[in-house]
Amino acid sequence: MISIKNLTFYYSGSDKPALHDINLEIQDGEFVLLTGPSGGGKSSLCRCLNGLIPHFYGGTMTGKVEVNGLDVTKHSTKELATMVGVVFQDPENQLVTVDVDRELAFGLENLAFPREVIAKRVEEALDTVGIAGLRHRATSELSGGEKQRVAIASVLVLYPDILVLDEPTSELDPKGAEDVLNMVERLNDELGLTVILVEHRLDRVVAHSDRIVVLEKGMITADGGPRSILSDRRVSQSGVGIPPIIKLAQAVKSKGSLIDNTPLTVKESRMAMAEALRDSESFASRHSERVLRSPCHSERSEESHRSGQAPRPKNLNRARLHEESPLIEVKKLWHAYPEGFVAVKDINLSICPGEFVAIMGRNASGKTTLVKHFNGLLKPTRGDVTVAGINTKEATVAELARKVGYVFQNPNDHLFCDTVEEELAFTLNNLGVKGGEAEPLINQTLERFGLTQYRYQYPRFLSGGEKQRVALASILVAQPQIIILDEPTRGMEYRLKAELMKFLDEYRRECRAVILVTQDVEMVAEFSDRVVLLSEGKIVVDGSKREVLSQALLFSPQINRLAQALKSYGVPDDILTADEMIEALA
Amino acid sequence: MVSYKYSDKGTVIHRLNPWCKLAWIAGVFVLALLFDSPIYLLLLSLSTLPVILAARVWKEWLSVMKFAFFLCLLIIVINALVSNQGSNVLYQFPVAIPIAGAPRITLEGILWGIGNSLRLLAIVSAFTVLMFAIHPDDLMLAMVKAKLPYKSVMVASLSTKFVPVLIDDAQRIADAKKSRGLELDKGGRIQRVKSYASIAIPLLSNSLDRAVQVAEAMESRAFGSGQKRTFYRELKISKFDITILAFVFFFLAFGIFLRCSGQGGYQYYPAVEAVSLTTSEWAVLFVLLLLVNAMPILALLKRKVSLD
Repeated sequence: MISIKNLTFYYSGSDKPALHDINLEIQDGEFVLLTGPSGGGKSSLCRCLNGLIPHFYGGTMTGKVEVNGLDVTKHSTKELATMVGVVFQDPENQLVTVDVDRELAFGLENLAFPREVIAKRVEEALDTVGIAGLRHRATSELSGGEKQRVAIASVLVLYPDILVLDEPTSELDPKGAEDVLNMVERLNDELGLTVILVEHRLDRVVAHSDRIVVLEKGMITADGGPRSILSDRRVSQSGVGIPPIIKLAQAVKSKGSLIDNTPLTVKESRMAMAEALRDSESFASRHSERVLRSPCHSERSEESHRSGQAPRPKNLNRARLHEESPLIEVKKLWHAYPEGFVAVKDINLSICPGEFVAIMGRNASGKTTLVKHFNGLLKPTRGDVTVAGINTKEATVAELARKVGYVFQNPNDHLFCDTVEEELAFTLNNLGVKGGEAEPLINQTLERFGLTQYRYQYPRFLSGGEKQRVALASILVAQPQIIILDEPTRGMEYRLKAELMKFLDEYRRECRAVILVTQDVEMVAEFSDRVVLLSEGKIVVDGSKREVLSQALLFSPQINRLAQALKSYGVPDDILTADEMIEALA
Repeated sequence: MVSYKYSDKGTVIHRLNPWCKLAWIAGVFVLALLFDSPIYLLLLSLSTLPVILAARVWKEWLSVMKFAFFLCLLIIVINALVSNQGSNVLYQFPVAIPIAGAPRITLEGILWGIGNSLRLLAIVSAFTVLMFAIHPDDLMLAMVKAKLPYKSVMVASLSTKFVPVLIDDAQRIADAKKSRGLELDKGGRIQRVKSYASIAIPLLSNSLDRAVQVAEAMESRAFGSGQKRTFYRELKISKFDITILAFVFFFLAFGIFLRCSGQGGYQYYPAVEAVSLTTSEWAVLFVLLLLVNAMPILALLKRKVSLD
């Protein structure tokens, strides 16, 4: 059992509390979902549970944290290790040995368990987590999901009663995340482990949790069962990403239908919606007259449908003028890495101004290899890539940087200057824009990204979302015609995601192209208009998001799976988002 | 691109007890320091090859040797320029350079460089076995058993593990900088230093973040709990391992004996002399080199026997 009373914590050198007056009691065997905006204190709270705060981090702590009756300030992290297992975000930084089985043994060795006990527990943990097949593999060869499962097994060997997972899936692809979460659910269900899971994407885990705790600015702002929390208007306004099926149910209910307003799974939602549709007489009469209005027939979506048939920009007259001259032309592109691995095969693709293209596919399907050709970071082994009329073979990356902006996933890879302003000036300087000429561009970009107040701050000390904005601003200040983002939303909370997408949408409307490498289906469903799906280095499908994402098995959004099932009620089966569904039902 | 990561190739050499390999490396190392004769050193370098071949790490070996050759070239050139002794003068610089004086290139100076390069090659070649054919965790275990402090050994082992991660990091950061229009290899020397600083700074701060995270994760798994640590794996020494160790000690003792009895010595200065060996000296040298290769031979034989 965990009991936290009046906990307040300041990191040393900070005058803002990371945690403020926290009171929380967690019973044995509970599955608690800890969520809230980044910088809200979720990680700090996790660190209190095994004494990393205050023993490892220092700082000032008041109040009391007790784990199984032990005060964490009086017992060291090492003593607490057999009670609380903590798994962190980046699997790379948790694995310290070369082999999987030795990794599992590490904690037990530290606690001086005899060899026979270690051998037995390693064996058990390998089976519990389902990685017995990996036991002799080197951890560096494993995929992210496998690594994270090794990390979990390596704390399970200590027989903890409590498992704390701090955003364990934020560095993983959807398949890896799924594997890890399934396993955690099983540990809670079958072994009765108390699970405290920090997670942004609620849709996947909410059905298995007993309780949701929302942390904001170091304070608990909501705490309760998933149904009551997710139907709480304050919670959705605070930027917690409410799963689309719940958004839909709430909208339907507000129209007067007697529907359970918080379905937690697609199945629950399907049943509730089917019932609501059957019960609704007014619906039945309309249904007899004509099929429900498909999003394609509604006025607002007219354009998106047209764009569906031919991947062309939405409602953009200026863009139409450029229709004949695509910004990016890829012809018969092959790329083989020096080790001989052929990453992309025979790619033909053209991207026009005003397009918002999502490049999707499994891990290692060639997505990043493909887009790295668009700014010359990689040169074709065979074939040609032409960007804004320049063949990439004949230009350096720096020369192409005028035309193409490339934003890497981790903003920390971009930032190195002393102030935000210098960060922007660095890009312009490189491109030969200096002094008086640069000034207005910098001002304008800072304004646009809401960074003016941070102008003279050290960028690496900003929060995660702000850093991402600085990184983006440092690219967009040069006003490239094409912008490429590699997994920009991985591990990002919903509100920041929506904000980023809004920026990008505005940007593309200025007759530029936005290219997104992503695995986030829900986001693509909402914001992009064209999807290119890669598999093993080849383009499998290239079409409008509606064509590609509806009726797909792996890459279909939650709402589309619902729409599929409600087809017999006349719901169009190419609906992708909650808003479209609400509109179709209206 | 060769990855400088250990990968378990499962060869007979990889399967050997790390103590045997460590002893063998130490043995070759001592012999390389002991002998001065270029013929002895050349043959010693060559006799490390069977182990490399048996461990199937030739690609890694080659890339390390490329670097070693470069180093050797440097040794030869610098020694030729700096060493003014030797009686066979090949070239006398006409003008004096401040401090260094007027360099005089001598045959002896060049040959000394070559001879010592061979010594270096033998040592580096043996040490590639350490890098690529001993499991890092086993190496760590052996170090701890040899009474080195565990925490220091762990730090050393961790730092080797994170080298490839660091290389990836640097590559990504360089790509990010290039994408912002930075011409990494253009401009004057000062400009280039500045460009590389833009990579070094994020690399350094990313690494510091990483270090804190690794420390945090290790702490959470009771690292440094103060108790005397146990080890999941042990380095069992079999009779076969003892046989190999015996051969290693034998070739070492034999080598020392030979050197003491006057074989394998050589003087470069003041004037080079012809290197000539008598038939019996050749025979003894051959036996020594055979003994050096007892390890791969026995290991291969053992595999064959156990397969039959």
